Amino acid sequence: MSIVVAVLDSSAAARPVLEVAQRIGEMTESPVEAVHVRSDPLKSVETPESLAARNEVPFQVLDGTVEPEILRTMDRADVLVGVIGARATTGGRRPVGRTTLHVIARMNKPVVVVPPDLIAPGSFRRLLVPLEGTEESSQPVLDRLGPLLRSDVEVVVLHVFTDVTQPAMLDRPLRDLQMMGREFLTRHYPHAAGIEFRPGPVAMRVAEVSQEQSIDLIVLSWSQDISAERARVVREVLSASALPVLLLPAPPSNVDVTKAASV
Amino acid sequence: MVPDETFEALVFDWDGTAVPDRESDASGVRERVEALSRAGVHMFIVTGTHVGNVDDQLGARPKGRGRLFLCCNRGSEVFEVTADGPTLVSRRTATSEEDAALSRAATSTVDRLKAIGLEANVVSERLNRRKIDLIPLPKWANPKKADIAILAEAVKSRLTSAGVASLAEVVNLASDISRAAGLADPRITSDVKHIEIGLTDKSDSARMAAGWLGQRGITGGLVLVGGDEFGPIGGVAGSDSLMMVDALKRAVVVSVGVEPEGVPEGVMHQKGGSARFLELLDSQLARRAAHRVPRIDLDPAWVVPLPTTYRRDRVAETLGALGNGLVGTRGSREEDGQGTSPLFLVNGIYDDHDDLLAGPIWIGLELSTAHHWESDRRLIDLRTGTLMRIAKQGGGLRSMRFVSAASPHAMALRAEAPGTLLGAGEPFQPPQDAQNFEREHRGEVHLARVGTSNGGIALAAHDDARTHGDTRTIERLTAWVSASASSASFDEACDRLAEMNTLGFDGLLADHRERWAQRWADAEVVIEGDPESELAARFAVFHLLCAATDADESAIGARGLTGDAYGGHVFWDADVFILPALTAIRPRAARAMLEYRIRRLPAARAAARSLGLRGARFPWESAADGSDVTPRTVRGPSGQPVAIATGAHEQHIVADVAWAADHYAAWSGDVGFLTGAGGDLVIDTARFWASRIRTDANRKGHIYGVMGPDEYHEVVDDNAYTNVMARWNLRRGAELLARTKDNAEASGWRALAEGLVDGWNPERGLYEQFAGYFDLEPLLMSEVVSPPAAVDVLLGHDRVAGSQLIKQADMMMLHHLVPDEVRPGSLAPGLAFYEPRTAHGSSLSPAISASLLARAGQAERALELFRMAARLDLDDLTGTTAGGLHLATMGGVWQALAFGFLGLRARGGSLAVRPCLPEAWRALGLRFRFEGHPVAIRADHDRVTIACVAPLRVQISDRTQLCEPPNTTFALVPSVKERRER
Repeated sequence: MSIVVAVLDSSAAARPVLEVAQRIGEMTESPVEAVHVRSDPLKSVETPESLAARNEVPFQVLDGTVEPEILRTMDRADVLVGVIGARATTGGRRPVGRTTLHVIARMNKPVVVVPPDLIAPGSFRRLLVPLEGTEESSQPVLDRLGPLLRSDVEVVVLHVFTDVTQPAMLDRPLRDLQMMGREFLTRHYPHAAGIEFRPGPVAMRVAEVSQEQSIDLIVLSWSQDISAERARVVREVLSASALPVLLLPAPPSNVDVTKAASV
Repeated sequence: MVPDETFEALVFDWDGTAVPDRESDASGVRERVEALSRAGVHMFIVTGTHVGNVDDQLGARPKGRGRLFLCCNRGSEVFEVTADGPTLVSRRTATSEEDAALSRAATSTVDRLKAIGLEANVVSERLNRRKIDLIPLPKWANPKKADIAILAEAVKSRLTSAGVASLAEVVNLASDISRAAGLADPRITSDVKHIEIGLTDKSDSARMAAGWLGQRGITGGLVLVGGDEFGPIGGVAGSDSLMMVDALKRAVVVSVGVEPEGVPEGVMHQKGGSARFLELLDSQLARRAAHRVPRIDLDPAWVVPLPTTYRRDRVAETLGALGNGLVGTRGSREEDGQGTSPLFLVNGIYDDHDDLLAGPIWIGLELSTAHHWESDRRLIDLRTGTLMRIAKQGGGLRSMRFVSAASPHAMALRAEAPGTLLGAGEPFQPPQDAQNFEREHRGEVHLARVGTSNGGIALAAHDDARTHGDTRTIERLTAWVSASASSASFDEACDRLAEMNTLGFDGLLADHRERWAQRWADAEVVIEGDPESELAARFAVFHLLCAATDADESAIGARGLTGDAYGGHVFWDADVFILPALTAIRPRAARAMLEYRIRRLPAARAAARSLGLRGARFPWESAADGSDVTPRTVRGPSGQPVAIATGAHEQHIVADVAWAADHYAAWSGDVGFLTGAGGDLVIDTARFWASRIRTDANRKGHIYGVMGPDEYHEVVDDNAYTNVMARWNLRRGAELLARTKDNAEASGWRALAEGLVDGWNPERGLYEQFAGYFDLEPLLMSEVVSPPAAVDVLLGHDRVAGSQLIKQADMMMLHHLVPDEVRPGSLAPGLAFYEPRTAHGSSLSPAISASLLARAGQAERALELFRMAARLDLDDLTGTTAGGLHLATMGGVWQALAFGFLGLRARGGSLAVRPCLPEAWRALGLRFRFEGHPVAIRADHDRVTIACVAPLRVQISDRTQLCEPPNTTFALVPSVKERRER
């Protein structure tokens, strides 16, 4: 049986991590387990342990270097999805913590990054999937998202126009955008309930549409290459998002994302 | 290895190829020739001898659709052989001077040879040639073909004894002597024993054959050329190599001869003599009996490959759509699959929502999942209107499909694959969102139909499955019928299918190819020096022709019958963009488009009355009954309803319809059109404008609250395009009305036209697009993004509406449609002002701008926009090609070529020609019809050559001149280059 593993630290940010893990568990119909990694065996684990106990989630303490231990745990064959906090510090827009960045750049499995301020909804019903309109960005979503979802979860695709993907001509704009939307979904994610088009910038529109569409979870595919252009978008979304972000790793690519093809 | 393909025509040598020699029994050839004729194969026997020799030996009396020609006397005569025997088709007869020159040449050649010790004799004086025997020895009186090598050695030895290095030297000698004797183009051939001096040779026969076949859509790759003497002998090219003319350059060429010195590149050497040739004929008969899939001529100038990746499947379906104006079938794969969108539509049959009704899908086959079908190549052959599928690796699916241009209710496909991989399955599948889909079987006939209260479509099909060795073939003939406002009849569909069965697939295909050849004869496009643009332009013309029908009325929607975008609704795309092209390349189809408007005049009059106005108010979007079917709202990005303003405000379409009627009459020479119902189109629309215009205290006329072609600025006053088109409409309507002696109303219209503001700003020397336009934010595209760009999405609707950025040519359209209504000399300043502000955010835009820029002498910039338009769907530039082709763009492409780069204009019964070509184009050629007559124009940078069948007045280099048939060449003064430099 596959499980969802929640990585809890000792901060207040652990609560939303566990809540999100539970929602992911419901969405994927998988049980949840919690782990806490401590580099100092004398350090108290009371906060994460009691949090797990209150939520009746099995809890394990791992002693060792934090980042490798987290990776080793998530890499277990029975782990379907890992859930980790974006950072310990609450309040506003801040970069993703070093540990989380290290984990997501290396973990070739779905990982959900949870903002510290989040109050998780009762369940995850609507997901937002921003897609560039390239095979490399959509293939991981096609391959990995479907198996994670129950049938009653709705996926909304977002495509943010850039200088490269900006529509060249719209004869009858709204009808043409509907046509483009149908074609976009057929090419890149036919299981979506709908698509939203917006002009850029990407991270800002992700936040806007998430709010408009009552989104519970944002899904991003990425190459895990933190030097690439796409990684900039991922980092921006992770920094600014008030919602959890499910990262789906893609195979390595040499494609220059600034030259991404339109629809 | 001769390709295992079906050939539509055979061009072959007689003696040594089809028969071992002229005395052999030819009964085997005769049987095969007559069988091939029954199978529809055309044959040309190319021989040096006369008809009596060949026909006496062959004795064929073909009775089938395949025609048999004897091309005799080495290119000088052509006979057709029917059940009644040979009949002369053509003969080249030497003049007395030529005859005398031939004799002089032959005699002089013999004398020169004798002088160097080589005994030679003139042994025959036949039609247009003289034959010299180089080895007049009893031993070599009648050499056999099989002994050619020995004969060659003997001749070589004889020549060497006389100090002649080779046979080639003798040929060159004869050629020099012939020219000196007065023959301008002597044809010197040799069969080793003889040399012949003639006026014609086998290349003339081959060119004749190629020309005849080309008129039937049979070109290069569909032809098998057979002979036995292609290779050189003694340094002289084999006589059969003369059949390898340029017009047959993609033909499959086979030699069955000995060919002692090898064969030229491109010839397949099979050896085996006439026995091998008969095997080739047998293989052709076997392929036909087995219903093998025919081939297309893989001419890169006429064949468009479709995208192969599955993500572009729906684009491929659109690009590969086939039609005949009455029906259209998308180019979907035979196998069903996720994300595909097969579609079959019938012109004029709508559903209950006023969208074109989706018909049953007829192209499906069962393909095993064991094969990777997506690797197959799919090609659309523009020349013959067929969609071809070719397996990339052995064992895949090969198929051909067409929608008949000759039998309008017929559609057909043939497919073949390894037996285990292919099945027919159920011929008909319901379309997506099928409306009352039904199936029925009557014996071997399958039936299906859909229908609503607005109309129905019924199809009948018969599948013929055969297995030949490991190959399974399936042939499906499908007939369609339709009915408006009732159920389509299965009985009628069965009757149509029965008609098709009498012709069969091969007969239907032959007629279809021939009809396409006839279409292209009136629509050819040649762009010398730019093959990519040429192919894209041909692609555009092809789909315009697919959308066109001569049947009594024709509603051509923005995407034609190639997709479901906009439900097949008719916009101004039809009147202003598509119709002008069809008027020239298929005039009766243009007339049918106008008939659609004429029959909807009652609805247009009712619409005007409902607004409290007079005359006829045609709707922005039109479908079955001519009422306005423009959606009132569309779901916006956030799901909220967004009002659509075009239906209520984009009223210029009223004048556009009138313009189309007038343009058709002026160009086609259909003088009666405007005195009848066509005149009503112009008069009633003028009456509308007369009631629409508001006159102010200064007696100036205004049209308030409209939308021009530039939809970024939604509701404006005095849109220059609308006003000037209305003014033209009033004036033209007044002219027509005056003919009926209703002078009072006509006079009122003329006065209104005079007073109507047109946006001309004398201080700026420009037309203002609409009242207040010049006060908007003076934003240029160069400050925003490179066009084309939908800047309303990029910047937001309100920002763009507050700026001078425009979606497409708006007032500049006036220079394109009614140049006499705008001030002389205002084209260049208008382009300089408006082009930098044009986003080209509409697919209608780039082609028109290209035309205007070319007319203004800016050929290079015109070419950029032309290429953008020509490749718009091929490259899916808009992201919406999956929903159907942009037919207005395609019409615009043709107009850019004709009215832009060639600068054509109809002027009172004459044709003005003012070419302006970009440097990359060596020449531009168009075929079209003008005033009922076929015309072909070829223009380069210095001259124009016009071919016509009747004297044609033309205006070239500012002079009215007369073009005399068959063709006349005019110098361009100044040349294109000189005009550009000025």
